[in-house]
Amino acid sequence: MLKHLRDPWPDHRAERTLGAVSLLVGVVVVAMIGFVGVHAWPIFQHNGLSWLGPGGSIEAEIANMGNASVHPAASVYHLNAWPLVYGTLLTTTIAVVLGLGISVLSSIFIVELAPARVRAVAIPVIRLLASVPSVIYGLIGILVLVPFVGNDLITAHQKASVQNVVELTGAGLGVTALILTVMITPIMVALICEALVSVPRSWREGAIALGVNPVRAMLAVTLRAARPAIVAAAVLATARALGEAIMISMVSGSRSFAPKPIDGVTFLFEPLRTLASAIVDYHEGLSAPALGSALYAFAFLLLFSAFALSIAGYLIKLPLRKYQVRG
Amino acid sequence: MIRTRRISAALTVAGVLGVAAPAAASSATTITISGATASYPLVSLLAAKYVKLHPKKVKFRIAQGGAQVGINDVAAGRVTVGDVSRDPLASDPAGLVFYPIAKYAICVITNSANPVSNLTPSQLTAIFTGKTRTWSAALGGATATGTIDVISRQQGAGVLSSFQTLVLEGKKIPGTFPEKISEGQLKQAVESDPSSIGYLSNYQSEKGGVNTVAVGGVACNKADAISGQYPGVARFYEVTKGRATGAASAFIGWISKSAAARKIISTQWIPVV
Repeated sequence: MLKHLRDPWPDHRAERTLGAVSLLVGVVVVAMIGFVGVHAWPIFQHNGLSWLGPGGSIEAEIANMGNASVHPAASVYHLNAWPLVYGTLLTTTIAVVLGLGISVLSSIFIVELAPARVRAVAIPVIRLLASVPSVIYGLIGILVLVPFVGNDLITAHQKASVQNVVELTGAGLGVTALILTVMITPIMVALICEALVSVPRSWREGAIALGVNPVRAMLAVTLRAARPAIVAAAVLATARALGEAIMISMVSGSRSFAPKPIDGVTFLFEPLRTLASAIVDYHEGLSAPALGSALYAFAFLLLFSAFALSIAGYLIKLPLRKYQVRG
Repeated sequence: MIRTRRISAALTVAGVLGVAAPAAASSATTITISGATASYPLVSLLAAKYVKLHPKKVKFRIAQGGAQVGINDVAAGRVTVGDVSRDPLASDPAGLVFYPIAKYAICVITNSANPVSNLTPSQLTAIFTGKTRTWSAALGGATATGTIDVISRQQGAGVLSSFQTLVLEGKKIPGTFPEKISEGQLKQAVESDPSSIGYLSNYQSEKGGVNTVAVGGVACNKADAISGQYPGVARFYEVTKGRATGAASAFIGWISKSAAARKIISTQWIPVV
């Protein structure tokens, strides 16, 4: 049997083995969606899609679910998860918009303007930053940023103005969005740099030869050709921001509150909770049937968003393909 | 070629180990435990001592997860014993037997820059239910001013439900306050925020770094908890489905009767009797 395995593989066997492995990946993905879907079903069954909407107090609903017995009554499954959905959208949007601007500008600098020596250091450093585990960012957040914001930036007046609705301790939207931006920017910079490097130099030189000034040529030719890669980078970064759990659980203030833009600057200090950080915060209750089902429903929504995101990324890239270099 | 050979050799070794390991372990009885994070340090110390006294007879596999996890796991038969850091609730599944193994005190803590000396139960209830929202010297000589930052624990934490029953006269802490997912995170939040107040088990607050507040004139320490004067004394339980039998029964009996177990409990916790 062992000797048989040691012999060189005939083509047909190698083909079948590799085929089976790639099929297995597909099976695992389908099985995972099925598993999460089955566990999330009771929430959809009792609420339809209205559990995504506002109304009710989600904290009271979660407490009910956690305290319910092994066979909970139907009313226990009632859920209004809007603050979590809103928190997820808010943090992801802010981080991706900020991060995209910063990463496009810094990629242009690194590839087109920086001296070769700076580029030789910057690119590996950015790759390294892109692989820092999120819990490290979370630690820096609770040990440095949250106390700084709580003690030095938030005024006693701001605290008092909302003290009967929500508590401002420093952990909240501002710190969360800031750290999330820092987390996802390196991935985008690394991908966009690679795309900019691979745009043929002759394209830009051609534009300059036609009398276009260098900055204009860069924006109109190089950046334009790299658009599909920029979309791909944004999709990857959005997926990481959507699914970020442990860092957000540490610095977001862990409270299912929907920050209100109408509060002005205080808006940035208000706490929130995202779908992914709710799974971290409430994982202890996973074996209480109703709460477990709610957590699986959050997970299902995140999985669904990840798929929707990659399909949207593909659709956006289609019309951009005309002059693409990669992506 | 060489790589294929190495891989198949590695797979063979892994396969042989996989078959051999369970066979070697089957001579000792395994007690599986899951549940409260608060009692985990105590239970793992007790288990280590028990294994030392009964070599090769018994093994432990201890997982954390929280009081509610312990309850659900033991009710579903996934573990032999569940660890629980709160009293039995009406919503617990029927047929579970609770064996108290130790007691611990839940202390109220503030930042060390705000040395609040004493709060009455009604003052505490007003603070933790959100009725009193600003610091003043009337609150045990507080030096902090402005808004009180109440820091709480997440739903399902045994310490939260015990604190509400024992210290807050049964009133509930509203969802308005930040919910930390562990005692460590709660302590860190109180340490870094001068106007904060929170609650912790005594063996965490006794490690220092925060100011411990007396409740109704009684200090929160082991001595006052043993004498029974301090109100916030909760219990750790070992929970089994039906009465404990076999190895689990022997282990729980050893915890409640032997001098060795009592010595371990007395280091940081309080024996039940």
